[in-house]
Amino acid sequence: MDVLKYAIRKLVGGIPLILGVTFVSFLLMVYFGPDLTFEMLGKNPTPEQIAEVRKELGYDRPFLVRYAEYLKELATLDFGLSDSSGEPVSAMLLRSIPISLALVTPGFILGNLLGVLLALVAAYHRSGWIDKAIMGFSVVGMSISFLIVIIAFQILLSSSYGLNLFPVRGWNVHSLYDYVMYVTVPTLASVFVALGYNTRFYRAVIVEEMTRDHVRTARAFGIRPGKLLYKHILKNSAIPIITRIMFSIPLVIVSGSLLIESYFGIPGVGKVTFDAITTGDQPVLKAVVGLTAVLFVITLLLTDIMYRAVDPRVSLK
Amino acid sequence: MPPNLHSLLLVIVILTTAGCAREQDEAVEAGDEIAPEIKVYKASMDGAPSTIDPVQASNVYANAVVLNAFDTLYRFKYLARPYEVTANLAAGMPEISEDGLVYRIRIKQGAHFIDDPVFEGGAGREVVAEDFVYSIKRHFDTTQRPRGAWLWQGRVVGLDAWKDAGSDYDEQVEGLRALDRYTIEIRLIKPYPQLVYTLAQGYAAIVPREAVETYGREFGSRPVGSGPFRVISYDSARIVYERNTKFRQEPVDIWAEGYDPETQGHIGVEAIHGRSPPFIDRLEIHFIAENAARWNSFTKDNEIQYLTVPNEQFDNILASKDPIVANPEISEKYHMRHSVESGFVFINFNMDFPEFGYNDDPERERRNKALRCAIIKGFDWARRNESFYFGLGRVFPGIITPAVPEFDPELSEESVTLDIDGAKKLLADNGWNEDTIPEMVYGTTAGVSQRMFYEQFRGFMKKIGYPPGKVVLKQYATFGDFVKDTSNSRLPIVSKGWSLDYPDAENTLQLFYGPNGSPGSNDANYKNPEYDRLYEQSAVMLPSPERTEIYRRMNQMVIDDCIAISGLSRTRIYLWHKNVIAMPDREIVSGFYLRFVDIAAEDG
Repeated sequence: MDVLKYAIRKLVGGIPLILGVTFVSFLLMVYFGPDLTFEMLGKNPTPEQIAEVRKELGYDRPFLVRYAEYLKELATLDFGLSDSSGEPVSAMLLRSIPISLALVTPGFILGNLLGVLLALVAAYHRSGWIDKAIMGFSVVGMSISFLIVIIAFQILLSSSYGLNLFPVRGWNVHSLYDYVMYVTVPTLASVFVALGYNTRFYRAVIVEEMTRDHVRTARAFGIRPGKLLYKHILKNSAIPIITRIMFSIPLVIVSGSLLIESYFGIPGVGKVTFDAITTGDQPVLKAVVGLTAVLFVITLLLTDIMYRAVDPRVSLK
Repeated sequence: MPPNLHSLLLVIVILTTAGCAREQDEAVEAGDEIAPEIKVYKASMDGAPSTIDPVQASNVYANAVVLNAFDTLYRFKYLARPYEVTANLAAGMPEISEDGLVYRIRIKQGAHFIDDPVFEGGAGREVVAEDFVYSIKRHFDTTQRPRGAWLWQGRVVGLDAWKDAGSDYDEQVEGLRALDRYTIEIRLIKPYPQLVYTLAQGYAAIVPREAVETYGREFGSRPVGSGPFRVISYDSARIVYERNTKFRQEPVDIWAEGYDPETQGHIGVEAIHGRSPPFIDRLEIHFIAENAARWNSFTKDNEIQYLTVPNEQFDNILASKDPIVANPEISEKYHMRHSVESGFVFINFNMDFPEFGYNDDPERERRNKALRCAIIKGFDWARRNESFYFGLGRVFPGIITPAVPEFDPELSEESVTLDIDGAKKLLADNGWNEDTIPEMVYGTTAGVSQRMFYEQFRGFMKKIGYPPGKVVLKQYATFGDFVKDTSNSRLPIVSKGWSLDYPDAENTLQLFYGPNGSPGSNDANYKNPEYDRLYEQSAVMLPSPERTEIYRRMNQMVIDDCIAISGLSRTRIYLWHKNVIAMPDREIVSGFYLRFVDIAAEDG
């Protein structure tokens, strides 16, 4: 019951956050975002035709009226039709979000699991050669441009110049085998990069935990390294780890991964969002920004509840 | 691990699996599981269309997809170069009145739209003349968000007035009528020799009114046409078609299509002679903007089968640049074709800027012209060609491109020849020095190549004494923002590329016609009464030596007045797999070639 009350209170408290995020982003979209007018016009337009297109796009209406409509769309989850393709925005998102999710989830899970694992090993061997090797690998992962990693993995694993094991691009998924074939190379590329950031962050968290008195005491009692790392260190490091993971989820769900989707020809939401940004497709942008804000509020709530689950000392009041 | 984490992971796995299943369902629905005996052709493009609605077919990508789902009255011949128009849905070339003002076009009987629930009983109905009339009217109805009105506005009797009166489709337009079920009449305000070309554009593709009215703006992603293919899926990565089994049966006569055995004998198109297209069961066009991904996919041999070769691969595939010859490894594996593009790249001076163009002070205006001419002399086209186009581009003087019949190969190349001393002298003679030279804002979209273009331009200018600090870069996040500023005459020079809409020099000459000034396509805002007079005179003339002479005079005016640093037509190299029988192309409106593509049998 406490949790439910807390959830309701938190969700209500999230409304100003959603209003703030949507207001600022809509302001930026309207006054500083791409203007679709000239994309929509044919050659040699007259000033009258320019005015007609602006009217058709709704650019001539007062800002607050448009913002109020946006909020209504967000409340009803009906974002109308894409300005570019004319397709319902909800249909575009319903089609592309699951694809992005299917694409990004394995890399997201593996990147975090392996990150925690390597961080534990590195922290346990702090300042030793294992620690240095893992951290060196992390720096490499962080330092190389994601784009270069993608191209390198694509050439190495997919192309006829490399091992030629996987498709270069596409998303024709009919079976688990197809799924594995299409998702492996993007996953390896994203794990390679994510591991660098994740491992460094988690190691810092774990190292801090290892300096605590209870860990020293546990060591003095002769607790086995595995148990020490899992029970006494990892569990107590869970809050910053959960925070990092949870706050990545909205971006994983709504934003997808533009570079991966572009290079591997995967019709996910990242590509849809990027196209909307570059073309000024406001209905799509409004949906993506609004849904991301809502997801963040929900994530905030879930994160707090999870804090409580992993650490009973955390109060939900 | 806490139970909550287990639950969260479970939720993620379920969601992910659902995503795959959903995609799987859609893919199967879209016929994505391909039977081995099915003939599939996988083409690629370096960009994507934003819609499949003909009313918005504003670029080469949109045309490529639209022209395969919809029919046009006319099309370009498959193999003839230079390009020639031929009848498509039209029963023949139009009957034109002696004064050139009335066009009568008969359309073929028995052509049908694809089956769709919008039709009674779900079966596609016959395409009739009224469909064409409706399709053109859409460009004059702002609610359709049209982009093609410029082709016909001010040309067809009553069409602009129809729009002004509220675009009521039940109201007749005097100059655009269906005389009977199969006859179209177009009445022009003044002769329009390019009219037939406009009827081969994606803009003029024929749509059924009931589908547009039923689907509204969703028609852009739910096309209902009568073209050679039927769209079965479309997203940001690719479009997939299947053969339109109802497409009219018209055996191909390769000789009538312009077949030249000497230059085209090696590509195997004789195999389609006497057969009715389309020959493939499934057509996929993959939208791959990233050059590396496109190349890797093509060379993998079981993915895309055709690509326009990215410039950075020229070095790897060519044994010789002059003549252009593929290296043996490429020749063995792929068919190759190269051609000079129909359009060109160039840089306009915006004459609206008193620092460079027109000025109230005649003396300053004279000095401005000297400044522009000096900049043109200092522009190193040979270096530009070598740096960015592998030295394969065709540099030519003026604005009439080598692809059109009016091109003059004998024209002096002085305006595209580097003359640093001449430029410096011109500046000095007219009082331009480091202090007096005006600041020049160079606008471009954000990107590495664009930045390199700017840096090279600045380097060229430095050599003639233009201070590098006075060539200022202004970058735009999107192409739309860049177009907005050029359309509003906010940049002193405009670097641009132009793709020809039709093979007639009028299409580039109109870029400097006074009334087309900003926000129109004359973003040089060139206003020369004599040029405008000649343009108007030639605009109503049929192709003739006399018209060519006028075109060339206009071209010379642009050169003499130093209005543009122009130009270069890029060479495009196309590669396709050996089992594909085709002559791929992406020029003019592109896309028509796809219906003629065939796939050779395994043992063939």
